[in-house]
Amino acid sequence: MGVEIGLGITILNKCSGFYGILGLLTGHQLDFMQWVLYLTSVFTLVVYSLGLTTVYKPKLQTYAFVLLTFTADTLITCFFTLWFSGMWFAAKESELSDPSSATQQTSGGISSGSKLLTARGETLSSQSASQATEYFFTILVSLIALVSRFYFNFIILAFVQRLFRHPKYLVDQDDVDQDLKHKKLWQRWWIRAENWSYRVCHHYLA
Amino acid sequence: MSEIFKRLFMSHRPANSKVSQLETSLNPTITLKKLRSYTPSLGDLCHYAFLGSVLLFVLIVYPAALILKLSVYVLFGVLFLLPATSQFFFNALPIFTWLALYFTSSTFEAKHRPPITVQVLPAIETILYGDNLSDILAASLNKPLDIFAWLPYGIFHFGAPFVVAIILFLCGPPTLLRGYAFAFGYMNLAGVIMQNLLPAAPPWYKIQYGLTPANYKMKGSPGGLKRIDEYLGISVYTEGFSNSAVIFGALPSLHSGCATMEALFFSYVFPKLKPLFIFYVCWLWWSTMYLTHHYFVDLMAGSVLSYTIFQYTKYFHLPLPEPSVYSRWSYADIKKFSVWQADPLNGDGGDLENLAVPLAVDTDFELNVMENSEPPSIFDQDRSVSRSSATSNTSADVQDDFVSAARPGKQRID
Repeated sequence: MGVEIGLGITILNKCSGFYGILGLLTGHQLDFMQWVLYLTSVFTLVVYSLGLTTVYKPKLQTYAFVLLTFTADTLITCFFTLWFSGMWFAAKESELSDPSSATQQTSGGISSGSKLLTARGETLSSQSASQATEYFFTILVSLIALVSRFYFNFIILAFVQRLFRHPKYLVDQDDVDQDLKHKKLWQRWWIRAENWSYRVCHHYLA
Repeated sequence: MSEIFKRLFMSHRPANSKVSQLETSLNPTITLKKLRSYTPSLGDLCHYAFLGSVLLFVLIVYPAALILKLSVYVLFGVLFLLPATSQFFFNALPIFTWLALYFTSSTFEAKHRPPITVQVLPAIETILYGDNLSDILAASLNKPLDIFAWLPYGIFHFGAPFVVAIILFLCGPPTLLRGYAFAFGYMNLAGVIMQNLLPAAPPWYKIQYGLTPANYKMKGSPGGLKRIDEYLGISVYTEGFSNSAVIFGALPSLHSGCATMEALFFSYVFPKLKPLFIFYVCWLWWSTMYLTHHYFVDLMAGSVLSYTIFQYTKYFHLPLPEPSVYSRWSYADIKKFSVWQADPLNGDGGDLENLAVPLAVDTDFELNVMENSEPPSIFDQDRSVSRSSATSNTSADVQDDFVSAARPGKQRID
């Protein structure tokens, strides 16, 4: 249940990769870090989707691959969260200080009006969140997203560990060392990645 | 017409099958009799207590004459009492509760509302998704794209819940519509509560006012739908969104939540068409950003809310659809999803020797729990549920048969 919910929620979030790349069609340029983020999102979306579709009949190699991908993705997400936080706060400074920005263009009218107008005994400016509140919710939501990610990671880790210890999911070594000559290139890479993940997970979890 | 309907939907009706029968009686004593013998579970109590609290809140807060408000409540009470209407209206109680709260939201005084955040959503969008995706996708506008965005956001969204409900009723297993009403209603109710508790400005606000503070005197904006009004020579969207009940209710996106819920239920009944439903959700996501109504983070919040509530409903309430059966009248009995038997770590893998492995202790424990504590269901109906023997843990078929028997003696009050 936890694996299904965790993977499903993560997959929904990974759709951002498609929309980030779709932005190219509107003439928007992506920087290197955005390219990395969106391409990894698309790749992980494929891996997690494979995991979700087999959640009731899991294959140990596939789930070992999902686990390692998810774990690496969690670490990368932590890094990206810090990186793009810096990007946002830089962009915000620019928005607040640039005379041609929408904020500067409209703030005069809004702030002077808010001093004059009152709503039920309160100034209108008090109806907007303070800067401290904005920061608080921004940090809170970011932290909740990160904590949820770690939580889902641990759920998947526990699931794979139990798969390793369950007799039904014992893997025949011949399956791991199967002949790959007649497979397509991407299939060979995929199976090799799964098998490598299986060996790594077997070493630490079995 | 009725012949075509019978041929399409009732030609494979099993003999003596009662599960798809509808109540036609208008005698309230039948409902009262059921009510007297009804024993609510803890889940039922929480369910009705929560909805009752919201409805009481609406009754007190909504600025209308008390007699008028009571008249509406009495009318619904009558509809709940008559068996023929009760089977639809009572199961839609979460939806009515959501609508009641939604239309009351516009009447809340500003002094009782939390402060509006303007920066949180664009900040979160950049931090979690690498850029202001909604800004980028709304950067290049043209008429064909306007129309393409308008269709799911301004047209399909409003009709889809009814179309989905009708199709689920006709083509899904009996009681599926109840599950849909439950999940759809709770998703929207949770969304509106969240929108009121965490008011946040949508992307159109940032485009018009930048990051300047917002206030409750401000009117809403139709965003990109203003262009549709101009194309059609109407003012439906401009007037509608300018006076929206929750102007600063960007988080979560209920457009996204509804589309996701509809896609999940349709995928549940018609799994082969899943790519089509995924496309619809992705289309709607794009259109909400293109029309500057939501940030990507709002869309995710709506979809995650839907997905979580759908999963809960699937685990504990939904009947299992049978492959290749596309009529409610073709079902002989109702089988339910069993989260315990579906767990791939349960069972012995069809091999009794494996029970000697230490992990089997956990397995036995969980199966015992499963047998003794079937999750409470507010949808159970004793006459209509299969009492499957699928709880056996020695059957090799168990892993493929995610079926549970409902609690014997459980009753429903409709």
